[in-house]
Amino acid sequence: MTAFLQATIYGLLQGGLLALVAVGFSLVWGVMNVVNLANGSFVILGAYVGWEMHEWIGLDPFLGMFVAAAVLFVLGYVLQRFLINLVVNGPIFITLLLTFGLDLLIVQGMNIAFSADFRGIKTSYASESLAIGSVRVPVGRLLAFALAVAITLILVAVVNRTRTGMSILATGMDRGAARLMGIRARHVYALTFGIAAALAGMAGVMIGTVGTFNPSAAASFTLMSFVVAVLGGLGNMYGALVGGLVIGLVQAWGGQYLPGTWVNALAFLVLIVVLIVRPTGLVGRAYYAARVEV
Amino acid sequence: MSTSTPAPRQGVTSALHRDQARRLLPWGLGLLALLAALVLQGQLFSGQERTVSTIFMFVALAQAWNLIGGFAGYASFGQVVFFGVGGYFTAVAISHWHFSFWVSLLLSGVVAALFATLIGIPLLRLKGHYFAVATLGVAEGMREIVTNLPDLTGGGAGITVPTVGNNATTAYLGNDGFYLLFLALAAVSVLVGGLVARNKFGYALRAINQDEDAAAAMGINTTRMKVLAFALSGFITGLVGASYAFQQVTIFPQRLFDVDITVLMIIMVVIGGSGTVLGPLLGAVALQFLSEFLRQNFTDLHTFILGGIIVVAVILLPQGAVNYVREARRTKEFSLLANVRRYRL
Amino acid sequence: MRSRTLAVAVVITASSLVVAGCGSKGEATSTSSAGSGTLAIGASLSLTGALAREGQLTKEGYQLCQDKVNAKGGVDIGGTKVKLAIQYQDDTSKPDVAAQLVDQFNDKGIKLILSSYGSANTEAQAAVIERNGQVMADSAGADNKIFSKGYKRTFAVLSPATEYASSIVKAIADLATPKPKTVVFLSADDGFSKTVTEGGMKTAKDQGFTVLDPQYFPSQTSDVSSALTKVKGEHPDVIIGSVHLVEGVAIIKQAKELGVTPAGFGETVAPPTPDFAKTLGTQAENVLGSSQWTDATKGTDKYFGSAKDYAKDIQAKFGHAPDYHNAEATAACLAFALATEKAGSSQPDKVRDALSGLDTESFFGKIKFDPTGQNIYKPMSVIQVQSGKALTVWPKESAEAKMIWPGTHQ
Repeated sequence: MTAFLQATIYGLLQGGLLALVAVGFSLVWGVMNVVNLANGSFVILGAYVGWEMHEWIGLDPFLGMFVAAAVLFVLGYVLQRFLINLVVNGPIFITLLLTFGLDLLIVQGMNIAFSADFRGIKTSYASESLAIGSVRVPVGRLLAFALAVAITLILVAVVNRTRTGMSILATGMDRGAARLMGIRARHVYALTFGIAAALAGMAGVMIGTVGTFNPSAAASFTLMSFVVAVLGGLGNMYGALVGGLVIGLVQAWGGQYLPGTWVNALAFLVLIVVLIVRPTGLVGRAYYAARVEV
Repeated sequence: MSTSTPAPRQGVTSALHRDQARRLLPWGLGLLALLAALVLQGQLFSGQERTVSTIFMFVALAQAWNLIGGFAGYASFGQVVFFGVGGYFTAVAISHWHFSFWVSLLLSGVVAALFATLIGIPLLRLKGHYFAVATLGVAEGMREIVTNLPDLTGGGAGITVPTVGNNATTAYLGNDGFYLLFLALAAVSVLVGGLVARNKFGYALRAINQDEDAAAAMGINTTRMKVLAFALSGFITGLVGASYAFQQVTIFPQRLFDVDITVLMIIMVVIGGSGTVLGPLLGAVALQFLSEFLRQNFTDLHTFILGGIIVVAVILLPQGAVNYVREARRTKEFSLLANVRRYRL
Repeated sequence: MRSRTLAVAVVITASSLVVAGCGSKGEATSTSSAGSGTLAIGASLSLTGALAREGQLTKEGYQLCQDKVNAKGGVDIGGTKVKLAIQYQDDTSKPDVAAQLVDQFNDKGIKLILSSYGSANTEAQAAVIERNGQVMADSAGADNKIFSKGYKRTFAVLSPATEYASSIVKAIADLATPKPKTVVFLSADDGFSKTVTEGGMKTAKDQGFTVLDPQYFPSQTSDVSSALTKVKGEHPDVIIGSVHLVEGVAIIKQAKELGVTPAGFGETVAPPTPDFAKTLGTQAENVLGSSQWTDATKGTDKYFGSAKDYAKDIQAKFGHAPDYHNAEATAACLAFALATEKAGSSQPDKVRDALSGLDTESFFGKIKFDPTGQNIYKPMSVIQVQSGKALTVWPKESAEAKMIWPGTHQ
């Protein structure tokens, strides 16, 4: 029983972090139909910013993540406004290629700038754990989980309640109509991408605190973003959260009751089964799969 | 179709001949290209042959992807699963069951096609990005499964095809032999692409791409057509995977099911021009050649430069090179900036 | 109209292929003859991709070797001094590219090859080396499986994979008091790590330990919590990780999070690297690790002096303390230098024979090869992280410090 509870706790905590990695990816895909293959590299870039802040001025990573968010927001905004906006009307998957090229550039850039050393952001408290009965809850992961959930909820609130958020939703539903209503689509797209990059950056700092990172880790985060976003479903802000928690739990339980090397296969199996049974993902909305853009 | 000759008064016969010539011309040119490649072999060193073989391999892979992703519009992100299934089937067949390579090659294609049919029937009901991610899940899942069956596949340690000694069932082809094998596969894939483009099957696929519901309303059995395209694409990819496994001798799951291979295939097709026959061919040759060239001459920065070139190419030619040339010739608008303006937000 | 586009495109493609081919067949100059004044050696390195970190360290090792050898005028081949000229190519951490590079070097007449990093890449290269009649000095491919295929032209200067965990087990058996009873192996599932685990388990059984069932996890994972949770209930005295850096750090971190406290940890590959101590801080204290080389290794040679001299050279040239990846790379290059001198020629067959008969001390330890091409004559060192530094604790003749046992506070 202890093992089950321990695995469940760990799975939820890991899942929350995965959700934060994927929420920006899901937002961008749902609103703009852009598949951002560079999401993993944003995560790692955020981790490096957090690491640098910690090295230079000793900034605690849970504060440093706001710096990372700001830096990544600017980067994301600029990339979308002046680069990705150029091909948004192109054939499907062209944005995918563009972001693939960007991913190559960013990952190699990090390789050159930071070298391929493995790094981690050291804190005095992250590896401590609270003991609840016979189950241990690591502090660092708990904080990361709490923040991930909080940020997702804040994002939902911002998108649903503020004017900016509504303009993002509106542009996502029908770009032509939104423009007719006076919404500056180019700016809104850039804003969305910037927000998504910022979220990825924050996730990166947290990942850097609970584990290690180096440029080549970017690819696995992009892959995870795909799985989590699609499993949860697009078009719904909670999709990434649901997807992340499910994947985290599946992997934790799988690791506990099956030989440890099957965890990844299990995650993909769950994804495929869910897609066959519910093609739009667990909580996704069907409309978003078949949009036509003006 | 603008030829400058005025309406002929010479009669129907010469018009017929001209029309026949026009239709046979692509095949003639294809044959010419094949001959050029054969002649080229004599000019290359052994190691260069291996590099060019990789180019041919990607031509075949890109053409195969084009069948399902370009013509039918169902972009499969997990195409590499057929590559891996074909490769591993051959490796296992030769090492464990002592089949000869040629028998394994054919069987690998068939097994890959059957696998494609098996996963195609449920997955081809999904649309757009969901289909893409589902196939990606299948590819990644297959890699994990192969890694977890070490008794059969060697798992993470890889599997070696015996090429020397008593266990070797077929003599190793060597760089010369593999050059010809991959050239043959590339030629077959272009041939299949060309045939599909020009017959009813290809038109059905294109109809499905443009408007699936309308196509169904016209009486096209969309499920059958899609699964057939997927299986055909899987067959060719499986053959390529089998040849690759034999060439590499030792294969690992991370490499045979590497998502990078799928992404490369897609880039080649899209940059060349998806939905055409020439597009994937040009895209594969250009990209692979470029990446080799950069890697050899810019050892430290080659990936960085390649990323930059891809970004620029995608921005300037979002519809792919072949489609751009066609549209430009039709509208007489060659300006790249005008092209960008057309596709930007 | 479509046919004209097709025509133009096909002709361009065909002619460019022919031109690309034609141009290069002309340059058939062999650059590896002593007459041209330099000895060309080909090195395929993982400069980008997942193995970029280790690839960079390997490159540094090769560069230092070239500098030191050339500073003495070069290698003495049959009376003439010939300088080394190592050519580098990036294999992007992929085995098929590494193998292709060997073929490409062969085209240029370069027959002496320094291996890529890692067992997978080296295995792919060894097959091509054998076919082409080249010779390879293996600096970083330790998996015993590479050498069980009957290859005769690849020589590994590093100790085989089965020694990685076995040496830690032997060190614990020799030096740990009170002697622990149970050992469990946590292993990544790639080929190299599995061979390490097999070797380690066998040695542990021979030394009289009770070996619990090993737990495997995917290679390069950062989450080993399931494996740790599974072994927690069995209260092992020693946890040995057959891992690389990412999993190695994860084991230590998550063991603390989950409250798994054996008497001590031992891991392969990760603890000797500076990244390990830097990332873990105080948690890295007293973790044991095995290393192909430390600066306390015994032995000297004419190009590099002792291990301490080597450490000074690396620090001076690259600004960091040496890693064993530097040392094994330099040792491979050194093996070539010594073999060509011994053979008096750079002809691949003669160099090959000279390598197989090599038996010499060096800054890296003993360099001698058994009939399969592996260096079973050099023991691995076991280090322990003490005050953030990796200090050698075993074997006794190289020990710089006493082993602290138990390593954790229980």
